[in-house]
Amino acid sequence: MTDSVWEVFRQEDEGDAMTHAGSVRAPDAELALHYAREFYGRRQESTRLWVVPREAINELDDPDWLKPPFDRSYKRPGGYLIKHKLEAAKARAEESP
Amino acid sequence: MSSAAPPEALLGDVTRDALAELLLATADDEFVIGFWDSEWTGIAPMLEEDVAMSSIAQDEIGHARALYELLAETTHDDPDRIAFGRPADAFRHAALMNHPRTDWAFTVARRFLYEHADAVRLEALARSSHERLAGLAGKMRREESYHRMHADAWLQRLAEAGGEARKRLTAALQRLWPDADAVFTPLSGEPELLASGVLAEPLAALHGRWRARVRPTLERLSLPVGGDGAPPPDGRTRRTDDFRWLHGEFTMVAGSEEGATW
Repeated sequence: MTDSVWEVFRQEDEGDAMTHAGSVRAPDAELALHYAREFYGRRQESTRLWVVPREAINELDDPDWLKPPFDRSYKRPGGYLIKHKLEAAKARAEESP
Repeated sequence: MSSAAPPEALLGDVTRDALAELLLATADDEFVIGFWDSEWTGIAPMLEEDVAMSSIAQDEIGHARALYELLAETTHDDPDRIAFGRPADAFRHAALMNHPRTDWAFTVARRFLYEHADAVRLEALARSSHERLAGLAGKMRREESYHRMHADAWLQRLAEAGGEARKRLTAALQRLWPDADAVFTPLSGEPELLASGVLAEPLAALHGRWRARVRPTLERLSLPVGGDGAPPPDGRTRRTDDFRWLHGEFTMVAGSEEGATW
């Protein structure tokens, strides 16, 4: 059989983010939907499924792009040490009602 | 749902018997096809299909269970006894369900013919004057639409695959068509069912609608379409050794210790 692989994303409740559930093998898009439903939706655990051919996914896993060699901690919120500034701001707020 | 639903107590004895006959025929169809299809568990063409077919088979048995429960209330019986305590010859499924699982093309052909027949029947039952039956049929329809799409998808795949797949599918459709007609074999209590509105339309009308529904798909795929004959009168009483074997399988556990509680 000429099967291909389909990636399945599911949404638990309306408004939730779609999350990757897993994958199924199927010969066409229609049966892929059926199988996705059986594997990731038949126990009423999903509100919505997205079924995407694996080939349609553009993958990026290059560490030079994703894990740059220089210190980039300032790009993360934790890179800024604002704990002391916050405490000082709170103290000021308490002093002047 | 109809507002003219006769409360259970107001059904005459004759209508109650006719209702029981209708419920038994419908439930046995679902029960027996569910057991045949459950035989694919572990050996379906691919893992994903294995799960799908097993799940559909479970759905069918679940529908049978709901119908047996309604029947048991109507006749003051026990649903488990109706399902597992009857001899093979007391089953009233259509002759379509007499055949064994056979091969994948045969199963697909049967599922296609049956799912469309069941859909037509459920549409009528959803308009039943019997409110509980109408409600149940409405719920069943929601699951059956997915079953039907699954059967349609496989019918098309096998038909378009050509070669051995198409050959087997064609042979199965030719063999099964006359027994699929039997889903619409008239019931002895049909006049009462129609008079009371429990059955919204004669089975003969549903039979015609089913043929009109499956014909375009079969013609589009150049697959054989069966004749226009009336359903066989013994369509729900004929039993085969294949079914007797299946009956032995599905009653084995219940029969191993009579009166056991589960």
